[in-house]
Amino acid sequence: MRAGGGLFAAALFTPITVVYLVFLLAPIGFFLMMSVFRYSPMELWQPAFTADNFVRLLSEEHYRVIIFRTLEIAALTTVFSLMLGFPLAYFLARTGSIWRGVLMFLVIAPLMTGVIVRTYGWIVLLGSEGTVNVVLMWLGVIDEPVKILETQVAVLVALVHILMPYMVFPLFSSLASQDPDVERAAATLGAGRWRIFFEVTLPLSRAGILMGSALVFTLTAGAVVTPALLGGSKVQMLGQTIYDLVLSTLNWPFASAVAFVLVFCQFSIIFLYLKGGRRRVG
Amino acid sequence: MSQSVLHLSGVVKRFGETLAVGPVGFEVQEGEFLTLLGPSGCGKTTTLHIVAGLLYPDQGEVRLRGREITRLDPQHRDMGLVFQNYALFPHKTVFDNVAFGLRMRKVAAGEIRERVLRMLDVVGLPGVENRQPHQLSGGQRQRVALARALVIEPSLLLLDEPLSNLDAVLRKRMRLELRDIQQRLGIATIFVTHDQDEAFEMSDRVILMNVGHIEQVATPEELYDNPTSRFAAEFIGEVNLIDGTVAGVDGGAAQVQSAIGGRYRARGDLASVRAGDEVLLMVRPERVEIEPDAAAADGLVPATVAKRVFSGDLLIFTLRTADGTELTASKPSTQRYRAIAPDSSVWIDLGECRLLPRGA
Ligand SMILES: Nc1ncnc2c1ncn2[C@@H]1O[C@H](COP(=O)(O)OP(=O)(O)O)[C@@H](O)[C@H]1O
Ligand SMILES: [Mg+2]
Repeated sequence: MRAGGGLFAAALFTPITVVYLVFLLAPIGFFLMMSVFRYSPMELWQPAFTADNFVRLLSEEHYRVIIFRTLEIAALTTVFSLMLGFPLAYFLARTGSIWRGVLMFLVIAPLMTGVIVRTYGWIVLLGSEGTVNVVLMWLGVIDEPVKILETQVAVLVALVHILMPYMVFPLFSSLASQDPDVERAAATLGAGRWRIFFEVTLPLSRAGILMGSALVFTLTAGAVVTPALLGGSKVQMLGQTIYDLVLSTLNWPFASAVAFVLVFCQFSIIFLYLKGGRRRVG
Repeated sequence: MSQSVLHLSGVVKRFGETLAVGPVGFEVQEGEFLTLLGPSGCGKTTTLHIVAGLLYPDQGEVRLRGREITRLDPQHRDMGLVFQNYALFPHKTVFDNVAFGLRMRKVAAGEIRERVLRMLDVVGLPGVENRQPHQLSGGQRQRVALARALVIEPSLLLLDEPLSNLDAVLRKRMRLELRDIQQRLGIATIFVTHDQDEAFEMSDRVILMNVGHIEQVATPEELYDNPTSRFAAEFIGEVNLIDGTVAGVDGGAAQVQSAIGGRYRARGDLASVRAGDEVLLMVRPERVEIEPDAAAADGLVPATVAKRVFSGDLLIFTLRTADGTELTASKPSTQRYRAIAPDSSVWIDLGECRLLPRGA
């Protein structure tokens, strides 16, 4: 590829560069700075450098639990999205069936409604008088409604659903770009279905797996609305914690420190993705 | 009696409404190089995939050395298939690509190493075992794919248009080399191609296919000299087809009155031919004789030279007869034929022709 192209390339890249600088890098820089400032009840923050915010964050049990829980939910959501999304993406990529269109629509559909609408949908389904409990009682599996809302399960289920497109599309494009003859070649050479999957299909999907996982992990770690509405105070994650600190407690320096930890985790994942993705197959 | 390696009988395959193949039946003999030749979309790949077990036929039977394998999984068939686009494992080294089939067969590591390296030698690619497929040229990938299929010592080698992605020079060289490797290993081979030259240069026998069925099974020479259908005559090489009417049948040949005026002897499938039948006369361009001298032209058909193309070793004449029929004649570019100028009057003779049904 011809690199550069001087003025033309510059003209193309200027708008997006400005957007990133103003709306991404500047705010991040701002809260990075804020996270080492001192909290003041009267002026919100004082430009005096201190490590107190981080010391407090890492020493208080309450926050350690939240950090750990956030990472746990992000990891579990990623794993479940991958396990559920892979067969779906595989089917979508390989089938010539009429169901392909329908399934493709179902995967995209969540993107067409807002996250709040979808989360309320899950409240309707998972509530104590919700569909899931009604059906389970009707089937005689349970005698009285089980508590699903305000548990980690509710948050996980909803996040897996809401973030599924971010997993399925990278997987789909990875699988669809594979030459189906490569799997056929493996079969004629003596590999059974499982061998073909582990020796050929899975390694060749590496780029899609990394991309989808990185997307779902970072989006889950930063999720605010879904954990807040479905998990409540019982399943608090970092996003909601930051939200509360900024809007209710008005402790911006401490909120920035929490945000710093969150962004640090997300960047670490993106870094791992880039590092892992570089060993691409040609 | 020599047993055939592969026996297909009555094989039919449909994709929804479309009949892709069938019914098709043929045998492959021990050590034979058999070619499936036909235009794109005639069902060659489908047939090959049925042999390899990547597709199961809707009807019919596949036998490998007498054993029925019609619905056996591909991984238990013991066939080496080379794909048109090679289908190498892009994430594995050349060594691991070639070793794959042996690993699946649980061959010991030491033996795998030895056999892989030996096979890379056979296909003319020593020393590339640590490369990745994307670091190889098209021709090299082709050889790796061949080595990968051959190293498992399959009962049958299946090649699906393996040369059509190579440039012209390499393709010609690989024809000979592929045939040479096949002969050395003595492995029964089914080769798929739409290229008649490839089929002729390499094959012991050719199966000519057309829209899913077999038109003719013959040696290359047979197929060239004695096509049994208009399709076969036109698909293979250049051909002149002339309308004619059967005047009589005697002793293995028919007398045919041709549209260009002459009456010619014609051989072919005469079983159902009767006097008065409308037929086609087939004659290859190199068999068309041109006589420039009126004195020697007794009984020949007059024509004009409509066009003359010089192509080095050959002169290609387009000859127009009185009834407007155009015939092609290809002649060596010797003094005798160079002397025949465009627009000059000549006399032509077709000699003995081939008789074909008129058909559609
Ligand atoms: N998977 C498939 N689904 C539907 N039709 C197919 C499929 N594979 C092949 N066909 C059809 O079957 C016919 C034979 O195809 P193929 O065997 O690939 O021909 P060839 O290899 O001779 O070019 C073609 O008309 C093709 O369109
Ligand atoms: Mg084909």
